[in-house]
Amino acid sequence: MYALRKFAEGAPLPNPWIDGWKRERKKVVGYFCSYIPDEIIYAADILPVRIRARGCIDTPMGDAYMSATTCSFTRCCLELATRKQYDLLDGVVACNSCDQVRRLYDNLRFKAPFPYQHFLSIPSCVSDVTIDWFKHELSKFKKNLEESFGVKITDENLRRAIRVYNESRTLLRKLYELRKRDDPPITGTEAMNVVLAGVTIPREQFNELLARLLTEANEREGVSNYRARIMLVGSLLDDPNYVKVIEDLGGLVVTDSLCFGTRYFWDLVDETANPLEALAERYLSKVSCPRMTDGHPARTKFVRDQIKEFNVDGVIFQRMKFCPFWWGEIFMLHRELKEQGVPCLELEREYVLSGVGAMKTRVQAFMETLKTR
Amino acid sequence: MGEEWYKKYEEIGMEEWPSDFSTWKTMFLGFLAVAKPNPPDPFTEMLLDMFVDVARARMEGTRIIMHPFNYGPEIFYAMNLQPLMQEVFSVGLAPFHMNEPYIDITNQIGFGDNPTICNAQRPLIGACTSGEVPNPDLLFYLSAPCNSLATTYQVYQSMAGIPTFNVDIPYWDYDPTLEFYDEKTMGYVISQLKDLISWLEKETKQKFDVERFKQTMIWLNQARENVMEHNDLLKAVPSPVNSLESWRNYLIMVLRGGTPDAVKLTKWTRDYAAANVKKGIGGVPDEKIRIAWPYTHVFFDQDLFPWLEENFHAVTIMDMLGYYYVRSHDTSTIDKCFESLAIGTLDFSMIGTCRGPAEYYIDYLLRFVKDYKVDCVIMPIQFACKHVYAIARLASEAVRQEIGIPVLITGCDPYDSREVPSETIRGRIAEFLTQIVM
Repeated sequence: MYALRKFAEGAPLPNPWIDGWKRERKKVVGYFCSYIPDEIIYAADILPVRIRARGCIDTPMGDAYMSATTCSFTRCCLELATRKQYDLLDGVVACNSCDQVRRLYDNLRFKAPFPYQHFLSIPSCVSDVTIDWFKHELSKFKKNLEESFGVKITDENLRRAIRVYNESRTLLRKLYELRKRDDPPITGTEAMNVVLAGVTIPREQFNELLARLLTEANEREGVSNYRARIMLVGSLLDDPNYVKVIEDLGGLVVTDSLCFGTRYFWDLVDETANPLEALAERYLSKVSCPRMTDGHPARTKFVRDQIKEFNVDGVIFQRMKFCPFWWGEIFMLHRELKEQGVPCLELEREYVLSGVGAMKTRVQAFMETLKTR
Repeated sequence: MGEEWYKKYEEIGMEEWPSDFSTWKTMFLGFLAVAKPNPPDPFTEMLLDMFVDVARARMEGTRIIMHPFNYGPEIFYAMNLQPLMQEVFSVGLAPFHMNEPYIDITNQIGFGDNPTICNAQRPLIGACTSGEVPNPDLLFYLSAPCNSLATTYQVYQSMAGIPTFNVDIPYWDYDPTLEFYDEKTMGYVISQLKDLISWLEKETKQKFDVERFKQTMIWLNQARENVMEHNDLLKAVPSPVNSLESWRNYLIMVLRGGTPDAVKLTKWTRDYAAANVKKGIGGVPDEKIRIAWPYTHVFFDQDLFPWLEENFHAVTIMDMLGYYYVRSHDTSTIDKCFESLAIGTLDFSMIGTCRGPAEYYIDYLLRFVKDYKVDCVIMPIQFACKHVYAIARLASEAVRQEIGIPVLITGCDPYDSREVPSETIRGRIAEFLTQIVM
C-alpha cells in the first residue's frame, strides 16, 4: 500500500519530510515525551519531532555520565547527542517524565547543549490544582517559544493546531477500529510505523496520508493466518522490528498501551475551551503512563477495555531494563489480569533490539499456551 | 543508662504487640539491647519511644499514617495522627542483615531488582507479603525525590488497599535568581497541603484544629532554628562533633518534627556542638580529613564512619539526609504557617537538593565543600538511584574544576550488603584516601 510505504519512510530520523521542512528554512524542535503538547510547537510553525535514538549501538558516554544502571534509551540519546546526531534539531523540549529523562536533559545541557532548550514541569497527579499548574507551565512554554524563535502563537494558531492534531487522533482511532476485525487489514508492525511517522512528519501531510491509508486498508485483504491476538503494553518502544518478532511467531498485535501507540493519541483535546486550558486538561487526564501516581486504576481499566474490545487472547508486557515505573506498573497489572484469567508474558528489553533469540523462545512458548484461533 | 528508665522499656517489650508488629517489636528489642550498656541519652530514648508510640497507637485506636523519609511528620501530629516513617524498616534492619529476607521475598514475587528500584522501599513489599509490617490506616507520599519511591508506594497501596494521598513536588527549572522556581510554586504546594488536610479530615472524621497547627509550626520552627545553628557550628575546624551527629538531627526532624521533643533534642545536639566549639574539642580526635558525603549512609555498615574516624582521622561532616537545611520562619499567622510548611516540604532533606535540575545538587555540593572546608567527596550511590547516579559525574567534574578536590563515586546498595560488601566499599575508600587524598 502506498501510504504504508510512505509511513515506513517517515518513521526514521531524519527523513525526507524533515529534510523538506528544513529546506524551507523552518525550525525543527525535538521533544522527549508524550506528555509534551506538540500542538504548541506546531502552532509556532515549528516542526515537533519526538526524539528517538535508533541507530545507537553502544553507549560509552552514556554509561560514563549517567551510569550503566540508567535506562538504555536515555544513554543512547546522550550518546547520539554528543556525536552530533541530533544536529538537525534547532532545540529540545524535555519534561520530568521520569528521573532518567530529567537527568538526560541535565546531561544534554552540560555536554551537548541545543540552541534552544526548555523544560516543562508536569505534575504527577490530576486535580484542579495540578491542572492549573500545568496550564501555567504551558503558558510559560508558549511565551518562551515566542521569544526564542521570534514568533507569535495566537489563540487561533493554537486552536488550528489542536484541530489538526485531533484529526490525527480521530483518524488513528479509526485505524485502530479496523484492527478489531477478525482479519485486521493492518499488522501491529505497520501500525507502529504509522504512529512513528506521526511524530516526525508535518501533521497535515500525516493526516492526508492517514486518510489515504484508511481507504487503502479497507480494500486490503485482512490478516487471518495468525495464532493469537496480542495486546502490547509497556514502556517506551519505538522499534517496529520488536513487534515484528512477535508477529513472525504468530502473535498479531491488535492493540497496545504504548507511548508510541494509544497513549499518544487516544484522547482528544476539547476544541471549544480555552486552548491552553484544554491542552492542560487533556495531557494530564489522558490515558496515562505510570509517571502519573494516581492513575493506576484508570490504566487498568483502559487495558481491560482494550482486551475486551479488541478480542485480545494474551497480553505481552515489555519493560525497558532499569525502568522503575514500568516494573511497578507491570507488577500490579500482571497480578490483576492474572486474577481474571488473562494470559500474560513479561519481557525485559534494552532500547536497542538485542537478545532476539531468547525473546523468540519466550514468545513462542507463550504462544503455545494460548488458544489457537 | 539509668536502671529504672531501661526497665520501663523492657516491660513494654514484654507486652503483647499486635501480630503485624512482629518485626517492629524485634527492631525495638534490638535497639533496646544495643542501648542497654550505654549511658542514658535523649536521642536513644526518642528512638525507643517512636517504636512504642506506633505500637501503642494501634492498641489504643489512634490512626497510623505511613509516610516516606523525605517528609516531616508535623502536619500528622497536628492532626492527632501517629506518623510511621516507612524507611525506618530498611534503614533499621540493614545493620542486622534483616532486610535481606524481605528483599528476597520481593524478588521472588517479582517486584523489581536492585539496580532498578531502590531497596530503601522495596523490602516493604516483601514485609507486606509476609504480614510482618505494621499495617497503617493511611498512606502519604510525594512525587519526589525519586521514581523508586513513587513506584513502590503505588505498589504498596495497591497490595494493601490503604487510602492514599500524594503530593506533587514541582520540578525545578534552573534559574538562580529564583529561590522557588516561580511565583506559583508556593501557592501550588500550599494548595496541595490544604487538600491533604481536607483529605485527612475526611478519612479521620476529625476537624483540623488551627490553634494546634499553629503551635505545631512554632515548635517545628524552633527546632529548625536549632538545627540550622548546629549546621553552622559544624563549619568549625576541627568539627565539634563526630560523623553521626547531623544524621541524628535528620532523624529527630523526620520522626518528631513539630513536637516539643524535637525542640528539646535539637537544642541538646546544638548545645553539645556549641560547647565543643567553645572548648576547641573535635568530634574526631586529631582531625585530618574532612569529608563531604552527598548521599545516604551505607546503612548496613554502621561501623563505617567510626572506621574512617579511627583509621584516617576523617570526619564526615554531613551526609545528604543530615543536611537538613530549612530555616525557621515567621509563624505569626495561619498563612505564614502554611508557607513555612510548604517551604519545609520543598526543602526537606534530599528533596531540596534532588527535586530539580543538576545545578541544584551541584550548587549544594559546591557550597557545602566551601562552607565546611572539605578535603574530599565520597558518594556511595545506590545502583537504582537514577536521580543522583545520573548526575554524579557532572557533580564530580564541577567539584574538581571549581574547587580542585577529589571525588569518589562508588556504586553499592546501602540496604543490602550482598551486592557490594563492606570490605569492598572500605577497600575503595581506603585506596581513595591513601592514594589520592592524603
